[in-house]
Amino acid sequence: MAPQLPAGTLRAAGSRVLRQAVRQHPFLVLLFTVVTGVGAVTTVLMPRVVAAAIDAATTGTNVTGALAQLAALLAIATAASALDDLIGSYYGTMLTAGFRHRLLGRALALGVPGLRRFPAGDLLSRITVNAGTPAMVLPMLLSATATLSVTLGAVVSLALIDLRLAVTLLLGVPPSVALLRLFVATAAQPFVRYQELLAAITTRLLDAHRGVRTIRAGGTAEREIGRILQPVPELHEVGRQGWVVQGRASWQLALLVPVVQLLVLSVGGYALVAGQITAGQLVAAASYAGLALGSMGLLDTLVSLLSCQVGAGRVGEVLEAVPAAPAPASPVAVPPGYGRLELRNISVRMDDRPVLDHLYLAVPAGRSVAIVGRSGTGKSVLVSLIGRLADPDEGQVLLDGVPVAEIEPAALRRTVTYAFERPALLGATIHDMIAYGRPAASRAEVEAAAAVAQADRFIRLLPKGYDTPLAQAPMSGGEMQRLGLARAILARARVIVLDDATSSLDTATEAKVARALARVLAGRTSVVVAHRAMTAARADLVAWLDGGRVRALAPHSALWSDPGYRAVFGAADDTGAGEIAVRDVSGMPAALQVGVRR
Amino acid sequence: MNLSAGARLLRSHLRPHRRALWWLAAWSAVEGVPAFVSGLLVANAIDHGFLARRPLVGFGSLAALGALYAVGALGTRRAFPWLASAVEPLRDSLVTAVVTASLRRALRGEDRAGGSSVSQATVQVETVRILMSSLLRTARQFLVTTVAALGGLFVLSPLIALVTTGLVVLALLAFAGLVRVLVARYRAVVLLGERIGATASPVVEGLRDVVVCGAETRAAREVGRAIDDEAQAQRAYARAWVLRLPVMMLGAQFPLLALLGLSPWLLAGGRLTVGQIAGGAVYLFSRLEPAIRMLIGAGGSILTNLGVVLGRLSEVCAEPPPSAPGAAVLRPPTCDVRLRGVTFAYSAHAEPVVRDLTLDIPEGLHLAVVGPSGVGKSTLANLLTRLARPQRGELTIGGVSLETVDEEHLRRTVALIPQEAYVFAGTVRENLTYLQPHATRADLDRAVAAVGLEETCARLGGYDAEIPPGGETLSSGERQLISLARVFLSAARIVILDEATCYLDPMAEARAEQAFAERVGTLVVIAHRISSAVRADRVLVMDGADPLLGTHEELLRRSPLYAELVGHWSGLGVPARETGLGVPARSR
Repeated sequence: MAPQLPAGTLRAAGSRVLRQAVRQHPFLVLLFTVVTGVGAVTTVLMPRVVAAAIDAATTGTNVTGALAQLAALLAIATAASALDDLIGSYYGTMLTAGFRHRLLGRALALGVPGLRRFPAGDLLSRITVNAGTPAMVLPMLLSATATLSVTLGAVVSLALIDLRLAVTLLLGVPPSVALLRLFVATAAQPFVRYQELLAAITTRLLDAHRGVRTIRAGGTAEREIGRILQPVPELHEVGRQGWVVQGRASWQLALLVPVVQLLVLSVGGYALVAGQITAGQLVAAASYAGLALGSMGLLDTLVSLLSCQVGAGRVGEVLEAVPAAPAPASPVAVPPGYGRLELRNISVRMDDRPVLDHLYLAVPAGRSVAIVGRSGTGKSVLVSLIGRLADPDEGQVLLDGVPVAEIEPAALRRTVTYAFERPALLGATIHDMIAYGRPAASRAEVEAAAAVAQADRFIRLLPKGYDTPLAQAPMSGGEMQRLGLARAILARARVIVLDDATSSLDTATEAKVARALARVLAGRTSVVVAHRAMTAARADLVAWLDGGRVRALAPHSALWSDPGYRAVFGAADDTGAGEIAVRDVSGMPAALQVGVRR
Repeated sequence: MNLSAGARLLRSHLRPHRRALWWLAAWSAVEGVPAFVSGLLVANAIDHGFLARRPLVGFGSLAALGALYAVGALGTRRAFPWLASAVEPLRDSLVTAVVTASLRRALRGEDRAGGSSVSQATVQVETVRILMSSLLRTARQFLVTTVAALGGLFVLSPLIALVTTGLVVLALLAFAGLVRVLVARYRAVVLLGERIGATASPVVEGLRDVVVCGAETRAAREVGRAIDDEAQAQRAYARAWVLRLPVMMLGAQFPLLALLGLSPWLLAGGRLTVGQIAGGAVYLFSRLEPAIRMLIGAGGSILTNLGVVLGRLSEVCAEPPPSAPGAAVLRPPTCDVRLRGVTFAYSAHAEPVVRDLTLDIPEGLHLAVVGPSGVGKSTLANLLTRLARPQRGELTIGGVSLETVDEEHLRRTVALIPQEAYVFAGTVRENLTYLQPHATRADLDRAVAAVGLEETCARLGGYDAEIPPGGETLSSGERQLISLARVFLSAARIVILDEATCYLDPMAEARAEQAFAERVGTLVVIAHRISSAVRADRVLVMDGADPLLGTHEELLRRSPLYAELVGHWSGLGVPARETGLGVPARSR
């Protein structure tokens, strides 16, 4: 999980984002405020004007004037409401879309190291959910302010009609608030259990989705349905309890509010008898009492405002994060050369543990190097430095004599490419996936790259061949790896890094891939993270990683006599391909595990 | 648009609970009593009480109103249990429908999205429950209030009531038309919102690959399009939503203006008294206006949401017409399997994955299937279990075409264990007796001992230990052992292991395979390691063009591919002791 900022810092970041949100569209914000204000004023004025119109109608004096006033006020109220909706929507969507664009851009700029702080799922929820919170704050703030002023306005208006009316009303408010609080507290308990049971059903269904092949082969679909629905009776019971709690609070509230209103009316009636107020004023008093009592939801708005600050804070956290591998201030072009690599005095620490410790490694241009070492020795970390997926804490990586940190980032991407153990399925179709980095590549080029990766045959077996949408092409780990390889091959980069990129292939296929790769990569530098002895044997040189440094750099055959070197492969090869397949499948997205096709 | 499909879905699920709905309506009517008479009593209190200088009549009227509020509160209290009786079963039956449909769809191989649609569907069911209850609670309340206010008006003055009712009906008709537009636009908002997630998630999850491809701009542009489209849809919805305001004016505010505007004429003609005009204005302004406002405002947004969610759910629950019951009723006497020229492809355009395969698997044979990845080994397993049907050729079991074998018989006779073991939330016992519900403790012990599950069982705490959802407490290997023991315990006479032991270490794999080889019946092992082939009676080498069947020794001589596979799997250039070939083979 991402290390979370302390709540205070998060709130502070939230406040900064919210201030930004208000400053971003000043004209809209101003208009929004004005319109909301006008709406609130009309709400407060309305009972007064209605009362005046009723009095005019009943007494027959100046009916037209009073009526014109009422009609105008109604028109203004409706117009304000319409503008409020529209401005709110335009302001909100502009703000939300803006934050989404910025969040995504920042996530891409933070790159691979960023994922350590903000894991993918977390980032996604920030983009889809939290990005919407800053837009919610202004309307909420305005409506809370409006409600508050309406309440105040209503109480003041009551007081202006007759002070006793306002006092009567205020006496009724505290019990109502207390009741609401009590309700919130008691309603929470069945609700939590309810959510748990609902989640249990979802999880059971997800489980069954993963076991589809077993269920089909076992013919146990009906029993599965029964098993998934097992929590339903308890869900039903807990759901009922929730209604009972809610029912109790509701009838008490249903009684309290009108009783307060009746009390106000009685006091008003007494005043009317005493000739202190008019009939119209009594009607107005009833309305004002209703208005004031209707604002008890304000408490919940305040609670939501606090949670908005946290949501906005989650947006701010990402926007304010600093890239761990920043673009160079004055970038240089890629120097001419054939891919000579030099790693000088490299140190990388992770979680305060040194992974690479003052490491030196030089890879001659146009050669293949296998990186070998026990698991956890930092092989992947080492190769990630070459294409600046991350920067070392200390030391320098040089490509054909120039530090990679100074090379223009886009050019560096074209010069160093990668294939991974678990390639991400990007793009719409198989073709699109292979050509993701080079969208202009022709079908022939894509097919040629796929052929080298031994992917051409299985792609042709798919329903629509290269045009099969990725979502409709369930693939095994080995097939995905071959697509990833094809993508890297198509990039035609000077340096290609294969980070465990053939681990899920059976050895026969891997051998074919290796032979074909050797042909197309002739003259280019390749760096291969290897777990199998055979893979290491194929490379020109092996860099044996141990204790954060390169223990030896020599051909596989020269190292094989060292029992320590052989032990590096021991663990992997004793269990054969199985151990490798464990790594492969466990990382497959669930969607692809369902229909693994072979 | 799926408005009518959604409405049908809702109707069909609410129909069994009509009684609850009637009771709910009845108690809601009681709840509406104070609204019904409040205007009358207030008018009475003002007209005949306070204005007539008879305060006792005034206070008496208000006290009566207070008493009626108590009756209304009773209605509220009694309405809730019936609300629960309507809404809770609705949720139950919708959840059942969604789960059933979703699982069936997955079983037919239609749901490629895997789990994501699943959780969405259950969330949507919950949304329907919440929306339905607010609709029944709130909009119902306002509907009752509206009717009650109109009724009160009618008692006060039929004239005002008639004019008002006409305007309200007109407004509601206009509103009904508006709801259709709103549902369509809101549906677009929801769908585009989902698309933001759908386009952003591969980019964020594959961030490393995006960076490596130097495709940041492209990725940002593609997701950005979805973001902008959604914002556009939101605005289109907001524009339509504004249209409710004139409708509200028509139903809620015109009647008041009309009454007050016509008052001089009404008073002069003696058609209405001052008290009636004041009382009518109270009804219209403090009862009807808020009721209409809420009916159209809150009701509109609830109906819109409900329309969209129900539409989506009706898509999930849509069942294809059931396939006609075929002639699949035969129960073949033996388990000899014959394939003659069997061909299978994923679609008409695609190259066949299995082409013209001819093969005999007599009952009791221990067969291993080997070949490079992607050559169709799992497809063969699917064909043997009728999870896939050949386009051409003949596949028989006990001399009977597999197509005509009774489904239940087939499922009992043939067992498949896929690579991804299925372990579900429940006890260890439930997981093990999945295919043999009446197994005894002794049977369980035997199966567990045979496949080597004892240690795991002990670690978990015996047969009654609970396995949590997702089976997170188990390693991949342990999950495989559980599904192995499950099938070992079953009555299946043909067992197919599709790389079912790939997460076990070679020793454990050998033990499990040995157990199945000694068990009665046929064993087909789709091999993950070459040692599986060495243990088998016969080996089928698949390489697409020319499958070969023979013993391990024969194939070493006859099949270059097999020799290569064995060579490679033994680790070329690596001393033989490290290859896993050293595992004792055929130690029977």
